[in-house]
Amino acid sequence: MTASPVDCKSIDRATIEQFLFHEARLQDEHRYDEWEALWDDDALYWVPMREGADPTREVSYVYDNRARISSRVRQLKTGLRHAQAPQSKLRRTISNIEIAWGDNELMVEANFVLIESRRQALTIWGGRTSYVLVPVGDDIKLRRKTVVLVNCEHPIDNLAFLI
Amino acid sequence: MNMIAPVQARIDYRHLVQDGRLHGSLYTDPAIFSDEMERIFHGGWSFVAHDSEIPNSGDFVVRRVGTQTLLAVRRKDGEIGIYYNRCPHRGASLCQSASGNRSRITCPYHAWTFALDGRLIGLPDEDAYPADFSKADSGLSPVARQDSYGGFIFVNLVPNGISLVDHLGRATDLIDNLLALSPTGRIRLTAGWMKHKMRSNWKMIVENQVDGYHAHAVHGSLITANRVFATVRDRKPTSPTRVRDFGKGHTDIDHPSDYRAAGDKLFRWTGGIAPERLPNYVKAMNDAYGEAEATRLLIEGPPHSMLFPNLSLAEMNIMVIEPISPTESVQYTCPVFLDGADELNERTLRRCEGAMGPAGFLIADDAEIGEHTQQGVSNREPEWIILSRGLDKEIVQPDGVRLAGLMDETSQRGFWKHYREVMSVADGDAA
Ligand SMILES: [Fe+2]
Repeated sequence: MTASPVDCKSIDRATIEQFLFHEARLQDEHRYDEWEALWDDDALYWVPMREGADPTREVSYVYDNRARISSRVRQLKTGLRHAQAPQSKLRRTISNIEIAWGDNELMVEANFVLIESRRQALTIWGGRTSYVLVPVGDDIKLRRKTVVLVNCEHPIDNLAFLI
Repeated sequence: MNMIAPVQARIDYRHLVQDGRLHGSLYTDPAIFSDEMERIFHGGWSFVAHDSEIPNSGDFVVRRVGTQTLLAVRRKDGEIGIYYNRCPHRGASLCQSASGNRSRITCPYHAWTFALDGRLIGLPDEDAYPADFSKADSGLSPVARQDSYGGFIFVNLVPNGISLVDHLGRATDLIDNLLALSPTGRIRLTAGWMKHKMRSNWKMIVENQVDGYHAHAVHGSLITANRVFATVRDRKPTSPTRVRDFGKGHTDIDHPSDYRAAGDKLFRWTGGIAPERLPNYVKAMNDAYGEAEATRLLIEGPPHSMLFPNLSLAEMNIMVIEPISPTESVQYTCPVFLDGADELNERTLRRCEGAMGPAGFLIADDAEIGEHTQQGVSNREPEWIILSRGLDKEIVQPDGVRLAGLMDETSQRGFWKHYREVMSVADGDAA
């Protein structure tokens, strides 16, 4: 995807927030194809094991480039992924949204709380997400998403849904 | 009427573990779990850390072995000290973080301070203790025995019994095979450990590590979604891959037998990276071992094995199983970096993340099925689990190693046979 001529500063807060809420809902509702379509060709979906980790030397829970995001979605869509069959019931809220308007990119950070219900169990997930968003034509695309779980340094449950 | 389980004075493990079947209570009974902690994890050898995790003076990691929390510290003299994480004064745990570096160890409660070799070197207001107080006798408590092989450090919390080398037996070959993939014979476990909550008994994880029978049922979603994963190995019942029981509870799935049969293609074990993309690594291997031996090593790849009781050399990952309760465990996973193979190491890291841990394309599904199995086996009928697949077709080699087909349960039986020995010895004897 070539660099966009769109000026990031012309994108207002409400538009950016709507994008985050929409992305969250697609994840909550397991709308895999629509979620995958939000990603830029140059993409990184990262869930580190500690804040400030160096992903070239340290192992992460998730470190998906564009091709691996596709693989992840493809596996979920088989319906045979035991860890998501049945799918988790998910609802998350996003708040404390802070935005930095760059020339070509939007840097966004936000806190989230996610409630997962699966079989008998209710699991709380929480953390801080940083997003790098880029305008592409009339759309906003997700270029980078980093999710630092508050409990990332401790043992975690299956994370087979989209966080 | 409520059913009340009868009180068992002494558990008969020779009855519960039979050659082709297991009693379901082995996965659920809290009394069995606490026997296992004593006999297997405290009274036997278990993996605690790797040398490369604490390279510099003062580096430490905190690890659990059985019910005990231990501190493994690189001392100033370069040796590794392994101590109980407990202040000899009033019992506070000394290190709360999982890893770090300290030049000395100070208890947070009354500031008693210990050198890295465990000696008590300072305490506030020392003169207030009576004349018979011995500072020299009040240092950190080391574990009864520690030893290492190929950088893998093991502990045994009782003073007597077999040596580490006797415990490992033929499994030293498996460690050697892994190390031989480095041109310098060294690996580094420095990428950190994924920590995955498993809602199943630790022994189910052990069994699954060397289970060649479940791939299609459990990993069907990945096989369907990812062609490379599906085709790099022969997963059919007719596969040339063998499972092996080496004795002492150590077992493997011998993927090299498949890779050998498939011809002279290097690096199938990496998921099929073309050798041209790893020229420096290939050259370093040729220089180190000679071309013929290097070629053999790079065709066959790393072991896929389970070392009794808690260490799995899982190809290019090390996995460690930590029992928490009869129904809960934690699985730790660290990718293996090969010294002298920088071209490969970052790929190994990415491959580990793809497959392993709570979000991995493979292990998340193993965790899910483990949870189903734990829930299922808590139902009381049928009482016995069937573990006889391939029992009448095993081949025993002259060296005692037992072989069977990829999907046979010889590997699980190998674990259980040794389990039965360890759990059945009279108190005070060592297996
Ligand atoms: Fe598996």
